[in-house]
Amino acid sequence: MLELYLFQLLNGLGLGMIYFLIAVGLTIIFGLLNFVNFAHGAFFLLGAYLCYTAVALTGNFWLALLIAPLVVAALAWAVERLLIKRIYHLPHTFQILVTLGIALIIQEASVLIWGPVGKNIAVPPELRGVVILGDFIYPYYRLFLIGFAALIGLALWLLLERTRFGALVRAGSESTETVSLLGTNIFRLFSLTFALGVGLAGVAGVLFAPLRGAQPFVGPEILGIAFVVVVIGGMGSFGGALVGGLLVGVVQSMMTSLWPQGASLMIYGAMAAVILVRPYGLFGRA
Amino acid sequence: MSEKNPLPVGPRTPVLLLLVVASLVLLPLVLPSATLATEILIFALAALACNLLLGYTGLLSFGQGIFFGVGAYGAALLMIHLKWGLFAALLGAAVFGALLALLVGALAIRRKGIYFVMLTLAFSQMAYFLAYTLSGWTGGDNGLLDVPRPNIEVFGHVLVDLADPRHFYAFVALLFLLIFAFALRVIRSPFGSTLLAIRENETRAAAIGYDTRHFKILVFMLSGAITGIAGALYAMLLHFAPLSNIDLMMSENILIMTIIGGTGSLFGSLLGAGAIVVLGDVLSELWPRWLMLLGLILILVVVFMRGGLWGGLAELGKRLRPGRTLSTKTKETL
Repeated sequence: MLELYLFQLLNGLGLGMIYFLIAVGLTIIFGLLNFVNFAHGAFFLLGAYLCYTAVALTGNFWLALLIAPLVVAALAWAVERLLIKRIYHLPHTFQILVTLGIALIIQEASVLIWGPVGKNIAVPPELRGVVILGDFIYPYYRLFLIGFAALIGLALWLLLERTRFGALVRAGSESTETVSLLGTNIFRLFSLTFALGVGLAGVAGVLFAPLRGAQPFVGPEILGIAFVVVVIGGMGSFGGALVGGLLVGVVQSMMTSLWPQGASLMIYGAMAAVILVRPYGLFGRA
Repeated sequence: MSEKNPLPVGPRTPVLLLLVVASLVLLPLVLPSATLATEILIFALAALACNLLLGYTGLLSFGQGIFFGVGAYGAALLMIHLKWGLFAALLGAAVFGALLALLVGALAIRRKGIYFVMLTLAFSQMAYFLAYTLSGWTGGDNGLLDVPRPNIEVFGHVLVDLADPRHFYAFVALLFLLIFAFALRVIRSPFGSTLLAIRENETRAAAIGYDTRHFKILVFMLSGAITGIAGALYAMLLHFAPLSNIDLMMSENILIMTIIGGTGSLFGSLLGAGAIVVLGDVLSELWPRWLMLLGLILILVVVFMRGGLWGGLAELGKRLRPGRTLSTKTKETL
């Protein structure tokens, strides 16, 4: 019995790390650009599908893990330059509607390219098999997932806290105007940050693919969860995205066998409660 | 919506109502089936209700699917289990919609902007999973089957047989006209002007002394009641209340119809619903991925054509008749 709980807990942590990667991208974009990206779930979906194609073409998951997020980020960069940069000045309502349109286009384009039935992606051969510790058995891939996502998280933290780029992003989150006046090309910074945030959703999509495959209509569900995580953790908060992601992942995983709809009810209920009681999130600043 | 969107200017009330009547008469004549025309009016009601929030009060609600779904389930359950008649069931759906809207609205308007939107989104998801879980009532994933479509009866005598799609269309059209006229009356009343004031500058409206929360809750309830009626009519049309009635996609669809038709124009909602339902009907056979086109249109409308279809038509009308300018007297807010 205890093994089962441990199993579910670890599964939850893995899922939670994926949610963290998605949510942290969303939160960085919101923090610096003050932009609400409703297309984030669609870019996640694209990451999973590009992973499928890359694996199909090269037969190498590791190459897919490198290429797919880069392609997603490049696409996001192009979309930012062409369209999104023109709507930063508009109220959030308009940003939501435009990115909702982008999400629809990406979703339908994915179905057009990859078909309406989901695609399965095999676990890479190096990570097949299980860890056996006494009575406890756990798949390698899920352990790798937790470790790799943690590594990405650490790299991202270092990028934000220890580099000039990160300093600019953090300063820009405080006041874009000041950063701009100090001589930084703020539009370049915006494009890069948008591409980075969306690229993280792409990484999450690739990591998710061997678990559940690439499903064409998963975008809105993932977007919903990402918003739950971001809201619970606090909009714009890195640590909040991590804790929120793990929390949601563990709750969902623990309840899958008991009452999966109940888990969704709980997390969306928690989201509403947090907005009503503590709108800056559990970790955000007031 | 807000900011650079000018105050909606529309034709006088009788002209607008005449336009609606003409559209209602024309719809079944130009469309291949009365059922399709009925579907348009049902979604036009939902879009019109969404417009009261988005176009006139500046509230972007992702919760319209809740009221639509609750109206559908509510009316269906009343008709199936309590054998309620047509009007009672519709009234029941309106009450359910209004009560849910009271609950959702009263909580959601405690926050503004993005947090308001997030709250409506959270409630929408909760309603969906609740409907999924309560499968004893809602049929869960299978939906609620065998929803009746009662006839109009007087003391047990069938006055109008609504099983005929043309009769049902006529009934829905009449109901649409009544609700449209009522909504127009509301919008062009001092209550409606206050809503516009809230949309333009809520702080200022509050400073003048209006209890803006009170107004926002009331408009939410009105919107919920109309959306509930639309949901009930939809269940009667399909003889079925699917789970998709209450999902987030339904909320998004209603929003998209409202925006493409024209935010801040009640007639625009009819145009938006008409365009999208017809487009969906025609294109879904030829090209199942037509939603892609919808996404593109949505972006174009939001970025370039804030007035939507109605705004586009109004612009066209102005260019065709350069001599006629709007006098201050006709410059009523629509």
